[in-house]
Amino acid sequence: MRESESRGTPPAAAGKARFKVGDRVRVKDLPNLFYSRTQMYVRGAVGTIAACTYQDLIPEDEAFNRDGRIEQYYIVRFRQKDLWPGYPFDNDTLQTESPERWLEPADD
Amino acid sequence: MSHAHTPGNGGAEHPAAPTVDEITDFEVLEIAVRELAIEHGLFTAEDHRRFTEWAESIGPAAGSRLVAKAWVDPAFKERVLKDAVKACKEIGIDWAEPTGFGTPSDYMNLRVLEDTPTLHHVIVCTLCSCYPRPLLGMSPEWYRTTNYRRRLVRWPRQVLAEFGLVLPPEVEIRVEDSNQKCRFMVLPVRPAGTENWTEEQLAEIVTRDCMIGVALPRPGRTADVHPMHRARRPVGSSRD
Amino acid sequence: MSENKELANTRYALLEALRSEDQTWNTLAPRYGVTNPNPPWKTSLIATCECLAVSGALPVLERRAAEDELAESAYADVPEPERQLLALAHTMLSRGLISESDLSARMRAIRSRLEAV
Repeated sequence: MRESESRGTPPAAAGKARFKVGDRVRVKDLPNLFYSRTQMYVRGAVGTIAACTYQDLIPEDEAFNRDGRIEQYYIVRFRQKDLWPGYPFDNDTLQTESPERWLEPADD
Repeated sequence: MSHAHTPGNGGAEHPAAPTVDEITDFEVLEIAVRELAIEHGLFTAEDHRRFTEWAESIGPAAGSRLVAKAWVDPAFKERVLKDAVKACKEIGIDWAEPTGFGTPSDYMNLRVLEDTPTLHHVIVCTLCSCYPRPLLGMSPEWYRTTNYRRRLVRWPRQVLAEFGLVLPPEVEIRVEDSNQKCRFMVLPVRPAGTENWTEEQLAEIVTRDCMIGVALPRPGRTADVHPMHRARRPVGSSRD
Repeated sequence: MSENKELANTRYALLEALRSEDQTWNTLAPRYGVTNPNPPWKTSLIATCECLAVSGALPVLERRAAEDELAESAYADVPEPERQLLALAHTMLSRGLISESDLSARMRAIRSRLEAV
């Protein structure tokens, strides 16, 4: 029943969001401990916070029915050129979601 | 889609049709798995009936109605962009149904992505097949393929071209990977030539593919047709 | 991931027999002039998957990962939605949620029930 519990009413707040819309962030390249939904293709890439979405269990805990850690989630926007070497269209972007633990400030 | 959309018909691609005149082992297997699961107490027959009704009630028509209403009612559009789950209730879609705490295996976070003449969104789930089911029904087969999931993030323009959608380089293509708990749906640009149309007329041209972002709505286009034959295996697969 | 590799390397005789039968909807529907793109049991299959997810017996992320793994291994040559059904049965067998002998016996019982006149 744990999975269903994680869906309904938002869990208690995890504290103040560390990042705000417009902040530049880098996706950490952490080892995959058992389970993650952070895609390999964004590891190490720098993007911009596009939205602060919600607070919820992190997938690393949720997938294993552990007592969960609650975190702020963000939608991060990347330039496709920054994700794929030689990507030919300057304007194109990609957005993906990430819990806070995978992000760090990027001072570029 | 020649007649008005009614919620829950699953779209006109799924007309009522007779079934085949033989009992296949797959049909038998489906019943056997379900009966054993119920007997083992994994869920109840009542649960199953409720989820079957839910699965049969959803289709892309709800999303089409949402887009059409947003096109004609700017205040509604603002509410959709601000809190899409809440705005869905105005068109009769409750994301908490049928469980009361969220749609089965979906989450209660929905964001509607508004296209502009210079920005085009397209959705994918690179991990599995996350999809805004209360609005769009079950995802199409191709959306679940590794072919689409792997290639859309890397070569979006190539994949869109395979769907017959070619956009000029100055239009920003924004791929939205729904890899966590948000679900996404595209709100396309209302096409020219639809001035003075009613919501019902507009809804007819907002097909499922337009709300995924692999097609654009236009007058006269009321069904999703895929001319190309898609690879069953991803590019680079060594087994072919 | 090693759990899923093991899953993909396992074969169940009962499901292998089904896999090799030419009874998929893609084949049968045109033969009978049926235009519905999906077999009548597909909705029920979806409901079963949802029920298993909501009850916690088979979480959706784990089911989808197993489906993907099996779609590229054991059932690579089976079309949807038969592939999803085989993958679900396979995953449930592998997790011990049901047993192969129970499943086999139940299938025989159901067939005789459905064919009774």
